[in-house]
Amino acid sequence: MLEVLAQAVINGLLIGGVYALVSIGVTLIFGVVKIVNFAQGEFVMIGMYISFFLASSLGVDPVLSLLISMPTLFAIGVLLQHFLIRRVLALGDMPQIFLTFALSLLLMNVALLLFTANYRTVQTAYSEMSFHIGPLYFAVAKLIAFVIAMLLSAILYIFLHGTDLGKAMRAAAQNREVAMLMGINPDRVFSVAVGVALALAGAAGSLLMPFYPAYPLVGQVFVLMAFVAVVLGTLGNITGALIASLMMGVAESLGVQFVGADSGLIVVFVMLLLTLALRPNGLFGGWAR
Amino acid sequence: MKPALLTRSGFWVAALATAAVVLPLVVSDSFALDIFIRVLLFAFIGVAWNLMGGYAKQLSLGHAAYFGLGAYTSTILLIRFGISPWIGMFAGGVVAMLASLPIGALCFRLRGPYFAIATIATAQVLMLLFLKFRDFAWGAEGTTLPNLGDAPLMMQFESKAAYYYVALALLALGLAITHRVERSWMGFYLVAVGEDEDAAEAVGVDTTKIKRQIYLISAFLTALGGTFYVEYIYFIDPNTAFSFNVSVEVALVSIVGGIGTLWGPVVGTVLLEATSALLQSWLGSGHSGVQLTVYSLILVVVILWRPSGLIGLFTELYQRVTYADPARAKEVPLDG
Repeated sequence: MLEVLAQAVINGLLIGGVYALVSIGVTLIFGVVKIVNFAQGEFVMIGMYISFFLASSLGVDPVLSLLISMPTLFAIGVLLQHFLIRRVLALGDMPQIFLTFALSLLLMNVALLLFTANYRTVQTAYSEMSFHIGPLYFAVAKLIAFVIAMLLSAILYIFLHGTDLGKAMRAAAQNREVAMLMGINPDRVFSVAVGVALALAGAAGSLLMPFYPAYPLVGQVFVLMAFVAVVLGTLGNITGALIASLMMGVAESLGVQFVGADSGLIVVFVMLLLTLALRPNGLFGGWAR
Repeated sequence: MKPALLTRSGFWVAALATAAVVLPLVVSDSFALDIFIRVLLFAFIGVAWNLMGGYAKQLSLGHAAYFGLGAYTSTILLIRFGISPWIGMFAGGVVAMLASLPIGALCFRLRGPYFAIATIATAQVLMLLFLKFRDFAWGAEGTTLPNLGDAPLMMQFESKAAYYYVALALLALGLAITHRVERSWMGFYLVAVGEDEDAAEAVGVDTTKIKRQIYLISAFLTALGGTFYVEYIYFIDPNTAFSFNVSVEVALVSIVGGIGTLWGPVVGTVLLEATSALLQSWLGSGHSGVQLTVYSLILVVVILWRPSGLIGLFTELYQRVTYADPARAKEVPLDG
C-alpha cells in the first residue's frame, strides 16, 4: 500500500515538472504583461509537433530538438506580443481574454486541419525504459523531462534575479508605471516575457514527446492544469507556480491511483474550487522576490 | 411619450418580429429551418449570457453548466417520472438557479480572467460527475429520448416549424427580460459593476448581491435553452449537455455582436451561424476544424478592429442612412 502511494507520488512529481514549465509561462506573462494567456497550451502543442516532425523526418531526438523548439517559440512569442497582445493592452479585461482565447481556438483548429486529429507518437530508445530503486520504478523519459524542466526553471530564476533584463522584468511586474519612469522600455520587457514564456511551453512540448502523444487538442490538458497551478500558487508568483504544479501532478496521480482512471481532472478541479473557497489568494505570497 | 409601436425602433422591432413569425411559412426546407432554430437557440442563450457577461462584465466561460443541468433535469424527469419537459424545463431552470448560488459564491471571489477560469472548472466538474455516475444519469453513453410522435404537451412535434416557434418564444422571452433589466435600477447597477466594481461598491452598490441576482436569472434562462436543445435533438450525454463549445459559443456571439447591448448576441449569432452554414454548404461537413478556425479569425478581427462588437457598426450605418436620429441629437453629455 505504502509502495503504491510512493509510486503514485513519484509519477505525479515527474509529470508535475512538465506542468511547471507551462504554469511558469502563464504566471510570467500574467505577472509582467498582466494578461492571461489562454493559448499557452497550444504552444505546448506546437512544441510537440515541432519535435514530432523533426524526429519523424530527420530522426532528431525529441529531447534534443528543444534546442530548436525553444528559439522558434521565443520568436513566435515576440511576434505575438508585437502584433496582437500590444494592441489590446490599453483595452479592458474582456478583449484581452478573448484575444488569447480566440488564438487558442485558432491554433487548435488550424492544427486539426493541417495534422488531423490522429495521435502522433515518437518512439525513442528510452521511451519504454525504466529503472528501479528498491520497489519504486522511475520511467527514464519522464525523469529526463523532470530534470530538464527543473534545470530550465532554475535558469529562469537566475535570469530574473541576476541579469539587468531579468530585474527590469521583475520591476515592470511590480509596478509598470514606476518601472517606465526608471527608463525601462516596456515593449522590450514584454516581448522578452512573452518570448520566454512561450519558449518554456515549447520546451515542455519537446520534453513530453518521448512519452506523450501529440494531437491538436493536447494543449487543453496542460493549460487547465497550469491555470489551477497558477491560482493555487498565487498569481504572478513563479516559485509558487512551480511548487503548485508539482502538487497538482501528485494530486492528479493520486486521483488516478485511488479514485479511478478518469478522475485525475476531477481531483484537480476540486482542488481549484477548494482553493478558491478557502484561500482565494493562493497558497503563497505575492511576486517571488 | 409616444406608444412603443410608433417610435422608430418600435417599428423595426415589430417588423422584425413579423418577419420572424412568417419565416417558417415561407421557408419549408428542413436544412434551412434547422439553421434558423440553431440561430434562435444560440441567440437566446447568448442573450442569457449577455445579462451577466455583457452588462456586468462577469466573463463566464462555464454556462454549459446550466445548459447541461437544464438538459439533464428535464430528461431525468421525463424518462424516470414521465413528467412533461414543459414542466421539466422550469424545474431545470430552478435547479440551475440553485446551482448558481454556490458556484457564484466561489467564483465571484475572483475577477476578470480568473473568474473565467473558475467557471470553466465548475462546468468541467459537472461534466465529469455526470460521466462518472452512470447509474444516476446513464454515464458516458448517454441516452436517446423516447420518441412519442406528435406530442405537443411533451414538447415533441412532427414539424420543424413548431420547434422554430418554441425557440423564437424563448428568444423573445430573453429579449423582453433584458429590455426590462436594462431600464431598471438593476440594469444601472450592473453597468456600474461592469465599468468599475470598486467604484460601484464605493457609491453604495451591493455588488455581491447584484452579481448573485443576475447570475440567477442568467442561469435560469440558460437551463431553459438546455432543455429545449435535448428535446430537439432527442439525445443527451455529458459531452453534449456540458459541452465546452456551448460555453464558448454563447460568449462568442455576444462579443462579436456587441456585449452589454440588447441585440448584440442576436447580431453575433446570425453572423456566425450564417458563416458556418455557408462554410458547410461549400465544403461539406467533413472538414472538422474549419468552422472554429473561421469563428476564431472573425473573433480576432472583431477584437482588434472593433472591440465593442459589430452592433455599433450597424447603428452607425443606420444613422448615416437616416441622417442623425433626432432622439440622439438631444443627448448632451451631462459633464459637458
